[in-house]
Amino acid sequence: MERRSFIKGTFALATIGLLNPILFRHGLSAAEDAIEIPYKDALDEYLRGKKVEDGSKIMSLNIPDAPENGAVVPVEVTVDYPMKADDYISNITVLTTKNKANKAISFDLTPANGMAYLYVNVKMGQTQDVVILAQTNKGRIFQSSKNVRVALGGCG
Amino acid sequence: MELRGVVKILDQSYKVGDVVKAKIIVIHKMDTGFTKDKESGKQFPRFYMKEITATYNGVIVAHFDLDVATSQNPVIQFPLKVTAPGTLVVDFVNSEDEKGQKTVAITPAG
Repeated sequence: MERRSFIKGTFALATIGLLNPILFRHGLSAAEDAIEIPYKDALDEYLRGKKVEDGSKIMSLNIPDAPENGAVVPVEVTVDYPMKADDYISNITVLTTKNKANKAISFDLTPANGMAYLYVNVKMGQTQDVVILAQTNKGRIFQSSKNVRVALGGCG
Repeated sequence: MELRGVVKILDQSYKVGDVVKAKIIVIHKMDTGFTKDKESGKQFPRFYMKEITATYNGVIVAHFDLDVATSQNPVIQFPLKVTAPGTLVVDFVNSEDEKGQKTVAITPAG
């Protein structure tokens, strides 16, 4: 929840400060609404300086290679990690790489979930990667990604 | 206006100790703030489902922060370990702070 308010604040400032041409073109209200979240910013904001481990061995992704419609791309991820009371996956986040706003969903888990699994539908404007980040309660971050070919973009 | 949504347990029969999957569908727009109305050329404002919280017998078991890259009418599935009969209460909040709530009973067999 605090992550959300943080990103809102910083990006609102950045949009007004840096993207003045857009502001003149569309008027003030539009500039406030169109908050772009580049992939790098979304990733940096999630990592906060921590290093990433390759999670392709423990994560199994079930994402179609070429979905019919970019507006609804099913993303299914299972993280093979024991959900013990003191060592468990505490967050799964789904990001895209080339949308205008690249944050899709952030899911907070507890050991009460029993397994680390998430299914969600994601919007994609063009062919790009889906990046899945899983964080344990001790701060280890695993990353896994898959390239998805989108023929018909869903307004991302 | 109360938000519309559906919550259900996907497994047909389950016992205490099993991990079941719960499915949430919320009927809601996910306007990114970048799309324009084709006729008037006006931009649709940023309007999306913001937060979903699932509470099982008084304990928060899942919390979702959604953003505009989630598709329209978001569909979410998440796991849940059944520990006792009870209820799963799911609260939705959108970016305009409108709320909705759905409840599903959890009735393990045997």
